[in-house]
Amino acid sequence: MTQHDDLDMLAAEYALGTLDADTRADVARRRQQEPELEALIQAWEARLAPLGDEAVPIAPGPELKERIEQRIRAIEAEAQRPQAEQAPTQKPEQAATSAAAQSQVATLRRRLVRWQWSTGLATAAALVLAVILAGPLNKAPSDPSFVAVFQEDDRQPAFMLSVDLSNKQLHVLPVSAEPLANKSYQLWIKDDSLGPNPRSVGVLNDDLSLDAGALRDYDPALLKRATFGISIEPSGGSPTGQPTGPAIHGYLYPTGQAGAQRL
Amino acid sequence: MPNASRPSSTAASSPPAAGIAHLCGLLDRVAHKDRQAFADLYDATSAKLYGAVLRILRDRGSADDVLQEAYVKIWRQAAVFDAGRASPITWMVTIARHLAIDELRRQPKGYREPEEALEQMPHEGPSAQDELHQEQDARRLYHCLDTLEEGRQDMVRLAYLEGWSRADLATHFDQPVNTVKTWLHRALKQLKGCLAS
Repeated sequence: MTQHDDLDMLAAEYALGTLDADTRADVARRRQQEPELEALIQAWEARLAPLGDEAVPIAPGPELKERIEQRIRAIEAEAQRPQAEQAPTQKPEQAATSAAAQSQVATLRRRLVRWQWSTGLATAAALVLAVILAGPLNKAPSDPSFVAVFQEDDRQPAFMLSVDLSNKQLHVLPVSAEPLANKSYQLWIKDDSLGPNPRSVGVLNDDLSLDAGALRDYDPALLKRATFGISIEPSGGSPTGQPTGPAIHGYLYPTGQAGAQRL
Repeated sequence: MPNASRPSSTAASSPPAAGIAHLCGLLDRVAHKDRQAFADLYDATSAKLYGAVLRILRDRGSADDVLQEAYVKIWRQAAVFDAGRASPITWMVTIARHLAIDELRRQPKGYREPEEALEQMPHEGPSAQDELHQEQDARRLYHCLDTLEEGRQDMVRLAYLEGWSRADLATHFDQPVNTVKTWLHRALKQLKGCLAS
């Protein structure tokens, strides 16, 4: 068998779908750099395409279209942010996981700015929020967990928020944040499906803890896409029901390759 | 999960508006970030893509996530769609299929139901085609599939439509994985030769 034959069979099995996960990921990467492989794959896709007509068309649920359009709107809003905000400096030789986290930081920064604008908040607080999401939705335990780090001015995270989607338990961990005299920290959640304004999740206790079940009424799919924020409010929480003080925001992101591809 | 069972609503067939020229026009506008065109493209193609994805994943929750991922990819990559190389619907279904197979490979093993899958498979060719050359392509492919040895046609169908891996096929056909690989390669080469003749 010649090398070309081998490559053609790799392309054929990729198009057919019989390769294992690792080989598929490898081919998906190689086709970007190897025009010959790319052409062979496309030829096989075209050969086999009529088989696809055997799958009966099934209308997706009506809510899915809105969900997808929302996602597109979010992508476009992010794409319109100035380039300068999109690239925090970081050593390139850092581990892959760190690089992935770093690209998520960039996205978080963009989201931070966007949410502040949309809620009319004036300035970014010199606070940092890290969000870790464990127990991904409907997935095997071996699946990558979800992590996002928001770090401003290269300082330590102020808070970490972890959410286990399987039981919707949340855990707030203050890192560099400390209790403030006559002020309270308040956690907010924002998603288009909840309306235009952030919704309060709860006011942090004096020891900076929060009821672990505060997110119990939210759908896991919503939690996955929502933006979270912590603002500094008068003691006892916002008097208006909306963030009144400086706020920082984070978004639950998956870690690992599988997650990074979804960004 | 309430929606995880059999799909309840079924579109009879692709809407007539889903002609190749129409879809190419929509994709071109989507490439220029036209959201109305995107909505129209979704209406014209989502049942087709969802049918392909749900057949592979058999779970509405996963299928919804994959369909969203597919349309985000379509939105981002519409500008690189090349009408000279693939039909628009083939291009879109291919994106969705591969995302569904990737998702299937991530899921835990053991819930496939091979017998049921085989029974579902129609053994006649496609029913409705809206463009003549697509119909010709389909006829040639089915002619060539018919020239394959007994069982090999099922392997190709199970892989393409249900997302079965070599290992899944090996279990079902009670053969070593390497034998399945050899069979697949022989079948694929035979198909290629037949289609080229």
